[in-house]
Amino acid sequence: MDPKDYCFSTQISHLALDIGGTLIKLVYFSPNGDNSQDGSIVVGNGCSVVKGRLCFAKFETRKIDDCLDFIRFNILQHSGVQHPNGTTRDKFPVKEKLGIVFDKEDEMHSLVSGVNFLLKTVPREAFTYLDGQKEFVQIDHNDLYPYLLVNIGSGVSMIKVDGDGKYERISGTSLGGGTFLGLGKLLTKCKSFDELLELSHQGNNRVIDMLVGDIYGGTDYSKIGLSSTAIASSFGKAISDGKELEDYQPEDVARSLLRMISNNIGQIAYLNALRFGLKRIFFGGFFIRGLEYTMDTISVAVHFWSRGEAKAMFLRHEGFLGALGAFTSYKDQSHSNDLKPHHQAVQRAVLKCSGDDSFRHTLVAANINDGEAIECSINLV
Amino acid sequence: MAGRGDDEHDPILDEAKSSERDMAPSALPGTSIHRSGSRPQLDLSKAEIQGNFEERDPTILLPNQSDDISHLALDIGGSLIKLLYFSRHEDYYSNDGDKRKKTIKERLGLSNGNLRSYPVLGGRLHFVKFETHKINECLDFIHSKQLHRRDPYPWSSKTLPLGTGVIKVTGGGAYKFADLFKERLGVSIEKEDEMHCLVSGANFLLKAIRHEAYTHMEAEKEFIQIDPNELYPYLLVNVGSGVSIIKVDGEGKFERVSGTNVGGGTYWGLGRLLTKCKSFDELLELSQKGDNSTIDMLVGDIYGGMDYSKIGLSASTIASSFGKAISENKELEDYRPEDISLSLLRMISYNIGQISYLNALRFGLKRIFFGGFFIRGHAYTMDTISFAVHFWSKGEMQAMFLRHEGFLGAMGAFMSYEKHGLDDLMSHQLVERFPMGAPYTGGNIHGPPLGDLNEKISWMEKFVRRGTEITAPVPMTPSKTTGLGGFDVPSSRGSALRSDASALNVGVLHLVPTLEVFPLLADPKMYEPNTIDLSDQGEREYWLKVLSEHLPDLVDTAVASEGGTEDAKRRGDAFARAFSAHLARLMEEPAAYGKLGLANLLELREECLREFQFVDAYRSIKLRENEASLAVLPDLLEELDSMSEEARLLTLIEGVLAANIFDWGSRACVDLYHKGTIIEIYRMSRNKMQRPWRVDDFDAFKERMLGSGDKQPHRHKRALLFVDNSGADVILGMLPLAREFLRRGSEVVLVANSLPALNDVTAMELPDIVAGAAKHCDILRRAAEMGGLLVDAMVNPGDDGSKNDSTSAPLMVVENGCGSPCIDLRQVSSELAAAAKDADLVVLEGMGRALHTNFNAQFKCEALKLAMVKNQRLAEKLINGNIYDSVCRYEPPTLSQI
Repeated sequence: MDPKDYCFSTQISHLALDIGGTLIKLVYFSPNGDNSQDGSIVVGNGCSVVKGRLCFAKFETRKIDDCLDFIRFNILQHSGVQHPNGTTRDKFPVKEKLGIVFDKEDEMHSLVSGVNFLLKTVPREAFTYLDGQKEFVQIDHNDLYPYLLVNIGSGVSMIKVDGDGKYERISGTSLGGGTFLGLGKLLTKCKSFDELLELSHQGNNRVIDMLVGDIYGGTDYSKIGLSSTAIASSFGKAISDGKELEDYQPEDVARSLLRMISNNIGQIAYLNALRFGLKRIFFGGFFIRGLEYTMDTISVAVHFWSRGEAKAMFLRHEGFLGALGAFTSYKDQSHSNDLKPHHQAVQRAVLKCSGDDSFRHTLVAANINDGEAIECSINLV
Repeated sequence: MAGRGDDEHDPILDEAKSSERDMAPSALPGTSIHRSGSRPQLDLSKAEIQGNFEERDPTILLPNQSDDISHLALDIGGSLIKLLYFSRHEDYYSNDGDKRKKTIKERLGLSNGNLRSYPVLGGRLHFVKFETHKINECLDFIHSKQLHRRDPYPWSSKTLPLGTGVIKVTGGGAYKFADLFKERLGVSIEKEDEMHCLVSGANFLLKAIRHEAYTHMEAEKEFIQIDPNELYPYLLVNVGSGVSIIKVDGEGKFERVSGTNVGGGTYWGLGRLLTKCKSFDELLELSQKGDNSTIDMLVGDIYGGMDYSKIGLSASTIASSFGKAISENKELEDYRPEDISLSLLRMISYNIGQISYLNALRFGLKRIFFGGFFIRGHAYTMDTISFAVHFWSKGEMQAMFLRHEGFLGAMGAFMSYEKHGLDDLMSHQLVERFPMGAPYTGGNIHGPPLGDLNEKISWMEKFVRRGTEITAPVPMTPSKTTGLGGFDVPSSRGSALRSDASALNVGVLHLVPTLEVFPLLADPKMYEPNTIDLSDQGEREYWLKVLSEHLPDLVDTAVASEGGTEDAKRRGDAFARAFSAHLARLMEEPAAYGKLGLANLLELREECLREFQFVDAYRSIKLRENEASLAVLPDLLEELDSMSEEARLLTLIEGVLAANIFDWGSRACVDLYHKGTIIEIYRMSRNKMQRPWRVDDFDAFKERMLGSGDKQPHRHKRALLFVDNSGADVILGMLPLAREFLRRGSEVVLVANSLPALNDVTAMELPDIVAGAAKHCDILRRAAEMGGLLVDAMVNPGDDGSKNDSTSAPLMVVENGCGSPCIDLRQVSSELAAAAKDADLVVLEGMGRALHTNFNAQFKCEALKLAMVKNQRLAEKLINGNIYDSVCRYEPPTLSQI
């Protein structure tokens, strides 16, 4: 199909979705309203550049109707996107509701593309988090690969990324966000992920975890480098106390659970990074959600197991990796169009959309927890 | 020969049917057999021990010290107390160091001067478990056995004043219960580092116990023989409340390289909160009936039932443990506790397997041993861990488990005593025995300590009264594999994997420092005594059934051997129950006692008889057979002497084969036999030996003996003749063959059992038999005198010393170190090992020693294996033949591979 068949006029938008087990992540492009004329600038080589913003939105998967309504009213009617990319399950009635067809993208491929896109194009995208300190890390584009990408969704995928489109799922674990929420719901009657996380903030895991000090009479087992406050056994105290579930504070249970899962993910990630000699480990996925406490526990785990040699890194747009990847993979259907972000050129991101003169973009509705929008421009051939 | 086909007799071994049950017992002269269930502890006389200890350290066992010397070590964990104690029994042959032995020793060049040193005392290591919350039972046990009163350093000469005793203890309880031990037992606890104990315990067990390690994949256990020289490095994963991952590089060289806080405590803690289970075992039991797909989010749940095969995940792979509990509006109460338990178990087991694999990978280790209370022999847990390791390592690494896994810490604490001497023990010096209680305890908590025989019998009787008698086994349907693997849902649950059934028994470890590896084995590392692999289910069920069917006859014989008294009957019943229980246990869990061979089964039966103090069930039968056979020996020798050399050799081999089958168990033959025409029966039987036999290397053997053409063969320097049954077998079969070697100037050593087994002749009985034979034969007499067998006999003054012709060679008798109808040549007496040094021919005779075991054994010297197959199944399996076929296998020396 000739890309010229698409009519690029004043307003341009396109959309990608990542429909996971728990959350739906949405990425769409919103051109700047103040662009001259049709919003495109013809640059030297005959490409036209559209400036605008990449916007991000999330919905809970079980509230998919909200998401569809959002797409229908805020995006589609303005942009006329026909083929949003997405990683999805079959069971959602997207076609019926929206009258559009999904191009299903491979989840992992989308994920990796998304991270590569972010790390290469967005400055101050990656940061470390330790002891409450967020520190942005500048990454040299030429020294990006290889790295380990740990995507914490319901489960956890660990992907070794060697370059654009070059990656391999090398490991994973079933102890992920789904375990946190699933066990958390059973143990605390929490209704939502956020509620559970909120609880964990207020809890004290020492009530329910067996610490090294509990075993060795309050002393460190320094011979093997374990401090008395290290967790020897998660939930280990629930063994001996004559207590029932009701006797424990939900906050403490949530905290213990969070630490168990974060710690485990951090450890397995570190061991895998070590195995392939990878210097950087990026953590993403909805479990992280920019939440300080989860980031902190994962950082501590990586720090502990690597004896300080490895650092866990996080991405500002971590929740949208899959959606971003799907977004950038529009290229696959088209040919040589380029999406150019604000500062640097985006490689290989291609638009596939149609213009709509009556486009008037309204920003995200209130019920949406959006990420930061990215200023960018899009190259059109 | 009669009774072929229509009257199949004991298919295992030729042994007397109980045609003699009315016979009164008659004391066998010279029997001072100790009444213990142990393997004979040879050469453990006090003087030797003292002498040898002088070389190492002035640690002398005082001659007048009490006969039982014990010490103990404990591992007191959160849920279980593991106790290990050593007992030394002074029940070796009281005065077997008689003149015969002395002469043999001189003859074989053995003397106290060059005897191998015995750094370790013979004795037994006992493994006992108690629940920690019942610590008082444990203290009572120690008190009743007076374990705490013993000098904890039994090999040191200093005696500690009462009340200053010290017990080595590891585990958390070492801190918690120190005061209690002081108060109740008056002993102090010496705390030992947990990890150090764990590692040294594992090192010892892996090195010293054959087949200690096993793999567990898809519900199948496979025992692994680990070369002690290639043990290190390995990864030891101890799954307790938390998990410690330890890299072990050698003795005392180890490092905790990793661990995880998601361990047994997490399973039990979370499980308790989520299911209201009252105990860890209850929670485990629940998992047997669980279906984790109701609560775990599977790959198929995410990808609409399609495999996500691109990254190697199947639809049934668990994507997220407990992930389904997210989206459905269900409460905790809506989930089955069974499903929750299974989901938890898989999550934690798999995670442990994965993290262990990653650490093994990191250090390039191929072997990962898992232990700790979380494992506790639970099939499902082991399968899941194994799957994870196998999956992630793509089969490169093996997850292994240890039979004594619960006792690693206690073993290590025991090792922490100074001068325990166990370091020097080799696997061939350890014999594991499974006492009568083993089938009932099922590898879990041990029953009460049973001191004497009467308590044992009462205990067995009590079980019957309670209606919990374990009946003789009947063949069961094949156990299905679980088909589970890590994240995949098992195809069958519950029914196939019983948590208690999979718990392995731990027997009593007998330390017998005098045992040695038979020096003539071509390749001791590759040697496998058992010919039939009982890990094959069909074979196993067949032999278990055979043993079970034969049991009533055996009981009758045993009871009759002791005069059929009420006491004997009571013991006989108890024996039958105990042995049936063993069989039932093995039918249910073939791996319960470790790697199982037919030799082990037959030995178990003998041990069980001894445990109920049936010292020699066949002694009256043996005596009568011997008398009858000796009576006709002169006629036979006369007949042989009239033959040409070539005819004689064939007749001799035929005679061995014929006498090996002779009449045992065959009713028709027994009838003939009573008419007293034993020589006729023997001749008739011999005449039926039609060559070629099923396995017939006679011509090769003949050529070796007689040469061909002008070639004159050199005579054998020394022949070791492993004899089998009493009566005609040894007297009309093997003795004439021995005589042939002697007359050719070869030395002959008759190798016989140390302890009675069935109607096998023992080393103690042989001198009398030889003496009886020597009355009628000069060759035998001279040789027996030279071999020191006739020191007490009347010596003809004229004969002695005058005829010192060059061809005269001695006839000697040595004991083989075992009390079983089979022989494991990795564990023979030092006496036999010494005798073997100059031998260039090994003759193995009989089903037990030449077919059931050692049929495929290769030797550095020439070997002749002679036996009659008296079991149809074995005949088909082994030689593709039929019952009563003969085997005459002659093998030249197997050259060393170097």
